[in-house]
Amino acid sequence: MKGFRYTVTFGALALLALFLLYPLSLVLNASLRVDGTGALTLANYLKTFASNYYVNSIGNSLMAAALATIGATLIGLPLAFCLARVDLPGKTLLLTLATLPLVLPSFVAAYALVLLFGHAGIITTALRAIGIPIGPIYGLTGITIVFTLTLYPYVLMPAIAAFKAIDISIEEAARNLGGSRLHAFRTVLLPVAMPAVLAGALLVFIEALENFGVPVVLAEDRPFLAVDIFKLFAGEADNNPAAAGVLSVVLIASTAIMLLVQRRYLNMRRFTTNARSVPPPVPLSRGWRAVAIGCSWGLVLLSLFPFMAVLFISSLKFRGPVLTWQLGFSNYALLLAGSYQPLYNTLMLATITALVATLLGAPIGYIVTRHRGRLSSVLDVIGMVPFAVSGTVLAIGLIIAFNSGFLTLTGGWLILVIAYVVRKLPFSIRSASAIVHQIEPSLEEASINLGVSPFWTFVTMTVPLMASGLVGGMILVWITAASELSSTIVLYTSRWSTMTVRMYQFLEGGEGAGSASAAAAILILFTAGPLLLVHRLLRRQDAAML
Amino acid sequence: MTTIRIEGITRSFGAVRAVDNVSLTIDEGKLFTLLGPSGCGKTTLLRMIAGFADVEAGSISFDDKRIDRLPAHRRNIGMVFQNYAIFPNLTVEGNVAYGLRARKVKPADIPAQVEKALARVRLGGYGSRWPHQLSGGQLQRVAIARVLVIEPAVLLFDEPLSNLDAQLRTEMRVEIRQLQQSLGLTAVYVTHDQEEALAISDRIAILRAGKIEQIGSPEEIYQRPQTAFVAEFLGGTNMLPGVAGAFDGQWTEVATCGTRILVAGKVADAGQKLLLSIRPEALRLAEGPEGPLLQAKLVLREFLGQIQRLHAALPDGTPIRVSALGSRQVAATEGNTLAFTYDPAQIIAYPAP
Repeated sequence: MKGFRYTVTFGALALLALFLLYPLSLVLNASLRVDGTGALTLANYLKTFASNYYVNSIGNSLMAAALATIGATLIGLPLAFCLARVDLPGKTLLLTLATLPLVLPSFVAAYALVLLFGHAGIITTALRAIGIPIGPIYGLTGITIVFTLTLYPYVLMPAIAAFKAIDISIEEAARNLGGSRLHAFRTVLLPVAMPAVLAGALLVFIEALENFGVPVVLAEDRPFLAVDIFKLFAGEADNNPAAAGVLSVVLIASTAIMLLVQRRYLNMRRFTTNARSVPPPVPLSRGWRAVAIGCSWGLVLLSLFPFMAVLFISSLKFRGPVLTWQLGFSNYALLLAGSYQPLYNTLMLATITALVATLLGAPIGYIVTRHRGRLSSVLDVIGMVPFAVSGTVLAIGLIIAFNSGFLTLTGGWLILVIAYVVRKLPFSIRSASAIVHQIEPSLEEASINLGVSPFWTFVTMTVPLMASGLVGGMILVWITAASELSSTIVLYTSRWSTMTVRMYQFLEGGEGAGSASAAAAILILFTAGPLLLVHRLLRRQDAAML
Repeated sequence: MTTIRIEGITRSFGAVRAVDNVSLTIDEGKLFTLLGPSGCGKTTLLRMIAGFADVEAGSISFDDKRIDRLPAHRRNIGMVFQNYAIFPNLTVEGNVAYGLRARKVKPADIPAQVEKALARVRLGGYGSRWPHQLSGGQLQRVAIARVLVIEPAVLLFDEPLSNLDAQLRTEMRVEIRQLQQSLGLTAVYVTHDQEEALAISDRIAILRAGKIEQIGSPEEIYQRPQTAFVAEFLGGTNMLPGVAGAFDGQWTEVATCGTRILVAGKVADAGQKLLLSIRPEALRLAEGPEGPLLQAKLVLREFLGQIQRLHAALPDGTPIRVSALGSRQVAATEGNTLAFTYDPAQIIAYPAP
């Protein structure tokens, strides 16, 4: 058993050191060097912080993340209570739909906002035609809206689990002691659910801060961290790797601190709540119930509206950048007439990533859950680091690390897979460890006791029992890898372009609105399809993701 | 038939010594119970025998063969788990055959052995069922059949009955005892339920904080507890602090709780502080003035069917419990003073800590 444990632990640590920590250390290193001579310096930091533009960039990103966190909590918390405790029609479907925004590509939602409310957006032009001018959607407003609508499931899922875990007797005790329903909610239910809600909210903050796709679509010329890092590193006009390094370090430091706070907080304040059964729905008057139904369904449909709009618009004909109201598949024809290659690439890279991430994540998740020790807690923390690392920064690190020398990977497909696997590893570790939690350790001990060696027990007993969870996690990885933009945009070559890159290129070009909408629609179909097929497998895990 | 020899084994978790230099011998064919409160180290000791907890120091041998260095899957021990640990992805037959397959028994021989083991636990014909179709008691029987079929050198039971309801628990413990005796297997049984331990065991070891307090037959442990802890843990005794008085050649008079109690023999020098253990059933309602008497005021009477329990207060207010047969009429009402008589030989004195 020890051999197996050490092999997995050291193997995983070695891989993460090579493909995560080493590239990140090079980014840090680059931020500390004088360009050209290579001497150690803090000048890059001083210069960056003295620049109004970069300080604004940091400020804008933090502000958008903070607003998104507040927005997601304001949506997620009441919605969670309704889903947990109100008798809603179509609750199962609603719950499934509510998980969708988490895995649908958020930059597609941002793009939908541009199509609808942008300078030449459908709604903007329609309103202008009848004499109502509306303000610009670009910048902080639009970015906050998209983050809020796509990231609220991070609050929703753990909050539902928390509300469901509070035994009805606790609430009955509060009422029995003289509290009204509202008083019981305010003084007992909410405080007990709060740690889970805040833990989810911190994840919203992290995700919003490191997100590349949404600001790249909606920022226009306003500075945002993730976009600036990319432009400073890869842009032709304002190339400045040292400044890119500095901003990367700022970004990673902020997300890492939030992740540490989140984990520390979760460890400190976890109330033991074990409901013997799911608490019954709150009895509501007809009016209040109608309000709850309307708000719940309304919010979920609103969050999916951008995606539905994209699907619809992609089936309309464009004349140049101008939308016509004729149905047709000309956009798809145009998109795929170029080449099927990006679609193949996307499917292939996502599939390889899903397989590799699961193969690595399953034993890691197993060991982290089963063995409490110093090594496995190190593994647990390092396995979560990719959560805090933005895809753009990781990709830049990978380029610096593997552009030349003993291991040259740039330009091929392998480096894309490596970046994806590292980025998605937390998902597969979490879903593996969630399922291991549900398997009694005594089952394995019984197998060993009956004469099967620990390794074969793991292979023949534990892995089959984990299978359902692993498949769910694998699909989650597949979906998020297929819609990955932030690292792809740094690492791709023309041979290994993906659907997300094509979409980005159409947007940047400004000409290909039709093709971009078709690419976005294909991404939605490829992510939502598998998710809806296996939502039963996934539902158990969304809550365990934290 | 295996004799288990445990010599000086130790295991710590951080600064806590869960098992602290424990030595004991379990004779072949005996059912040996490790009994103690939670956290006393009984489960750790059992898991060390099974190979699921590392042995830091000391040795475990089966007959003359040391086994503590063997990996768990090579020890040929059958363990029955608290939560049954039935493999949910295998049928009853698959569960029982699991150990046989691991031992590379010829596939043709397996069905007959499985059926024999199932018949032995009265589950004949259940082979094709799935675990989720069985009740808790049936799952426990499958777990037992699963370890019997591999003909283990030693059987281990880790609180096997604690998940069953009270009535099933008494039935199953009789079945386990009969199976163990008819097969003549050496068994180690862990429980925190003293009644279960007394009912099922050949010998019992009482553990406290990783150390053995006393080893003996159930009768010895119950009737002659060597320490105040054992007396209090088993059967819930009345433990009264007192000071030894003069020895009159037959009895020692002990001043306690505002009264005097006689103890057989010279238990201590006069003036020494003592703890007296008086079992609730050692006190009887006095019928006349003869014999040593103890006055106590009745506080509460609980009628429990077969017995009734009297909660009384000694002169200084110290509560004392007395068990009497349920059929016995108690004339007094609460608040009245009762006279109890006792046999000084049944009262045990321990030096006060």
